[in-house]
Amino acid sequence: MSMLALAATAEQTTVRLTSQTRILAAVLAIVFMLLILELIRRDRLQERYSVIWFVAGLGMLAGAAFPGLLKLVADLMGVRDTNVALFSIVLLLLLGLALNFSVIMSRQAAQITRLAQERALEKARQQAEEGRTSNGASGQQALESEEQSL
Amino acid sequence: MRTLVFIPAWNEQASIADVIADVREAIPDADMLVVDDGSTDATTARARECGVLVATLPFNQGLGAALQTGYLYALREGYDLCAHLDADGQHPAAEVARLLEVLVADHADLVIGSRYSDPGAESASDDYKPTLSRRIGTSVFRFFLTLATRQRFTDTTSGMRAANRRVMALFSENYSPDFAEIESLQLAVRQGLRVEEVPVRMLERTGGTSFLTPVRSAFFIFKGVVVLLVGQFRPRHAEAER
Repeated sequence: MSMLALAATAEQTTVRLTSQTRILAAVLAIVFMLLILELIRRDRLQERYSVIWFVAGLGMLAGAAFPGLLKLVADLMGVRDTNVALFSIVLLLLLGLALNFSVIMSRQAAQITRLAQERALEKARQQAEEGRTSNGASGQQALESEEQSL
Repeated sequence: MRTLVFIPAWNEQASIADVIADVREAIPDADMLVVDDGSTDATTARARECGVLVATLPFNQGLGAALQTGYLYALREGYDLCAHLDADGQHPAAEVARLLEVLVADHADLVIGSRYSDPGAESASDDYKPTLSRRIGTSVFRFFLTLATRQRFTDTTSGMRAANRRVMALFSENYSPDFAEIESLQLAVRQGLRVEEVPVRMLERTGGTSFLTPVRSAFFIFKGVVVLLVGQFRPRHAEAER
């Protein structure tokens, strides 16, 4: 039955999405968005990084609900095959997302470096303070007391 | 003039004490700071035994980050001048003192100690014999940096430098963690600072081994050229972005 239905729908519409795949895509999109919600609920994902994933989920849902939408986009791109259009869009989105992550990573790397530097300087300042308070004249004694505290 | 000499060190327990003693003798009125870049050996302990301040980074971050720590400290503590040298014993402190003299005379904002143009009777080639890969890298960097800055540099990767407060302000905010030496020269020249090279005598390393293998050298050179290229498109007189 499914084979027949498949063949029939393929001939009827130029959009090569069967109702089966559409339902599957819709279910996947909903499960995906639920997963995002769950991750946020468990503090495994921050809200500000989840927006883009919700958009992706909604896009999936929209594509599943209105196959004509995909056809429209494909036509706008000048692509005859909607599948090719779909894969191109997804690929570009993932590329953009990966780049976005690299940018975030770079920023955080810079922040971590500065944090480490601040901590290192704080410790050095502490060492200077200790050297000054525990002994004024000979640095050796101050050092010894510090060595013990370490 | 208040002067800070800082020494970036990563696993240099064998040589750090000698370097500190050397600096103390050659530049007695300078304060000293050792920046331990997340060493896994006793570098911090050795340096503290010598009675100098140590800023220990909690994990290894690369030379750029270590140097930036030194510049940041010098800037915040209000030093007029700062200088840094390698912790492996290749840089005689007496030569660092000569770099500082150029700054005191206010001939430059940033002074680089170059091992390639010899200061006089003692030719650099007697004391310092670079490997083939280093020679290739040196000439490639020299070429591209000269192209980028329109100023002649012979020793682009020298880790012996002296700087005034203008440079401290620049480097404490904008300093690439990946490619410290070359990019910083390009940056300084682009920001309109006076950068000068002074010929110095350098020695063979007393402890540790060079990190340069042929493959690493090739990658190092490639990365350096890319960094220089990108650097040419950075905005001039940019405020700190971080």
